[in-house]
Amino acid sequence: MRILLAEDEPVLADQIRSVMKSEGRVVDVAPNGVEAQFLAETEPYDVIILDIGLPERDGISVLKSLRANGVDTPVLILTARNDWSDRVDGLDAGADDYLAKPFHMPELSARVRAMIRRNVGQTNPVFQKDDVSFDSRNNQVTVNGIPKNLTAQEVAVLSYLFHNSGRLVSRTELSEHIYQFDGDRDSNTIAVFVNRLRKKLGNDLIETVRGRGYVIKAAA
Amino acid sequence: MISLRRRAVAGGMLWAAVTIILGLAGLSSYTLGATKQRFIDDVTSRHTQVLVAVANYGDNSTALLRSIGDPSYQLPFSGQYWQVANDEGVLFTSPSLVETVLPAPAAVSAEAETTEIRGPNGEQLFSVGQWLTLEDGTNWHVQVASNLGTLDADIINLRQTLLFAFFIICTIGVVGALVQVMLVLQPLNALRADVTRRWDDEDGMQASSYPVEVAPLVDDINTLLKRNQEIIGRSRRQAADLAHAIKTPSAIMRNELAALQTKGVGVSDALTALDTLDAQLKRSFARMRADGTQNAMPVLTDGTETLSRMVRAFTALARNADRTFASDIASDLRVRVDKSDLEEILGNLLDNAVKWSKAHVHISAAQEADRVVIRIEDDGPGIAEEDKPKATQSGQRLDTATPGTGLGLAIVDDLVQAYGGTLTLDRSEEYGGLCVKISLEAARAKRSR
Repeated sequence: MRILLAEDEPVLADQIRSVMKSEGRVVDVAPNGVEAQFLAETEPYDVIILDIGLPERDGISVLKSLRANGVDTPVLILTARNDWSDRVDGLDAGADDYLAKPFHMPELSARVRAMIRRNVGQTNPVFQKDDVSFDSRNNQVTVNGIPKNLTAQEVAVLSYLFHNSGRLVSRTELSEHIYQFDGDRDSNTIAVFVNRLRKKLGNDLIETVRGRGYVIKAAA
Repeated sequence: MISLRRRAVAGGMLWAAVTIILGLAGLSSYTLGATKQRFIDDVTSRHTQVLVAVANYGDNSTALLRSIGDPSYQLPFSGQYWQVANDEGVLFTSPSLVETVLPAPAAVSAEAETTEIRGPNGEQLFSVGQWLTLEDGTNWHVQVASNLGTLDADIINLRQTLLFAFFIICTIGVVGALVQVMLVLQPLNALRADVTRRWDDEDGMQASSYPVEVAPLVDDINTLLKRNQEIIGRSRRQAADLAHAIKTPSAIMRNELAALQTKGVGVSDALTALDTLDAQLKRSFARMRADGTQNAMPVLTDGTETLSRMVRAFTALARNADRTFASDIASDLRVRVDKSDLEEILGNLLDNAVKWSKAHVHISAAQEADRVVIRIEDDGPGIAEEDKPKATQSGQRLDTATPGTGLGLAIVDDLVQAYGGTLTLDRSEEYGGLCVKISLEAARAKRSR
């Protein structure tokens, strides 16, 4: 899952990034509104965390442009102002949720998780396919109830496929959602991650559609 | 300061009184003088008549009497008398004197002499007498007298007529002064009424619809009102900027502390202190907002537009929380509440409703007489009767298990009260949870242009 974080305060941005990273997500940070808008319009993000008080171009303007240009990525706005006017401005401009600073980091994680799920039409945070269970709240993966240890990248691939279960996901799409903007995007490594996942979780979970990509079939 | 109306009325009255008194004095002195002069002229011309008669017919009493033919001399004691005398005594008298005579003349003198004398019935007479020396060397004294009582009666009559006329002029003057004051002060009265309703029209008061003397004042008032808005807006922005400046570092500290806590470092005291700090800040900013509101000029807000905006925003938030959110907002609602304050009120209430509801939140707004009544209902647990007074107190949290600073309702109550509105907590008939009813002053209907 790939997130765009538009936040001008570098320390706070770092903190959010490291928490998101620890939860298996990749984060691109845009320190100003112009860059945020450029990235949001060119890269396929799963969630955008948008601070309202951005330099160069304020968050509300960025959000309005994005929505006007047909970018419908879920947006969570961060506001440091007390006024409801700010939050309502954001929500009215097309934001899906808001969080007022100072916030608790687990609250931010929960909101982001819920937004990703809602966006793909999933209501249950725990994904289940045959013997394999994936809890998106803590990235716990179990096979027949036995916990399995996965690397961050393996979790990222599994999480994306589970969130889009029932849909064919190409290698390119997968790489776009598990690597950050300046990351080394080698779609061959995707095949490596999928193979490792099959070894750890069994061969039946992820199906390969030759030449097109991967799919986790929807649970019956 | 004495009111303008009182000044104008008092000034007008005083001016009218001075004018009228001076006019009355001048006019009556002139007419009195003229009346007296006419009386004297009349007596003098009567004297001349007798003088001429004596010169012509001094030796013939019958001819003399005939030539002075005025009928008033024929009527006994009519008040009009003449008498001719010589050195030896009285020779001829008017028949009106009957058997009496006028008092004896003074010593011989060529000059005519006017005196006041007693008449045959003791009445005051005005008399003109003169010695006349004829060609034969004889001296004749010719005297004419007229009753002063007729002059007095004339004067009294004249005074009464004058007083009556001036009474009418006075009445017209006072009524005129009052009407004038009313007409002159009318634009000021209108201005006062307009200032009360000042922002009923989006662009303030129209200076062009006032007289040129008042128009600059209207412009000044408009400027002041606008400046007042700007000052409040600026201080709000400053407060918001301050909040912004404090909250981001606070968020950073919180995250660092949380990271330390997960590593097993004991930082719970620091986190509690940070919580206190955040709550205190939130409370202070809320207080600043309410204080600003109290000093603010009441403004006009399109209630329907603001409510619809809130509905759109909370539709997303309710969906996130898996609640259904329905609304029933009347059109053309206009309230005398600052827009951001109205959003603050609605935001806090709807946030509470979404937080506490099980599945449904409903908002309705309609005009009831001169109030705009907003009801926010939910199907949550509601507030027990005994807890209601506590619910609107700052920092009071009825359920400490759910996150929050316990400020929401207190902020709303402060703001609603600052605008002279009311907040009532009831049980929702339809949903079974809480029904928060807010009643705010409605502005008059939009003026059609």
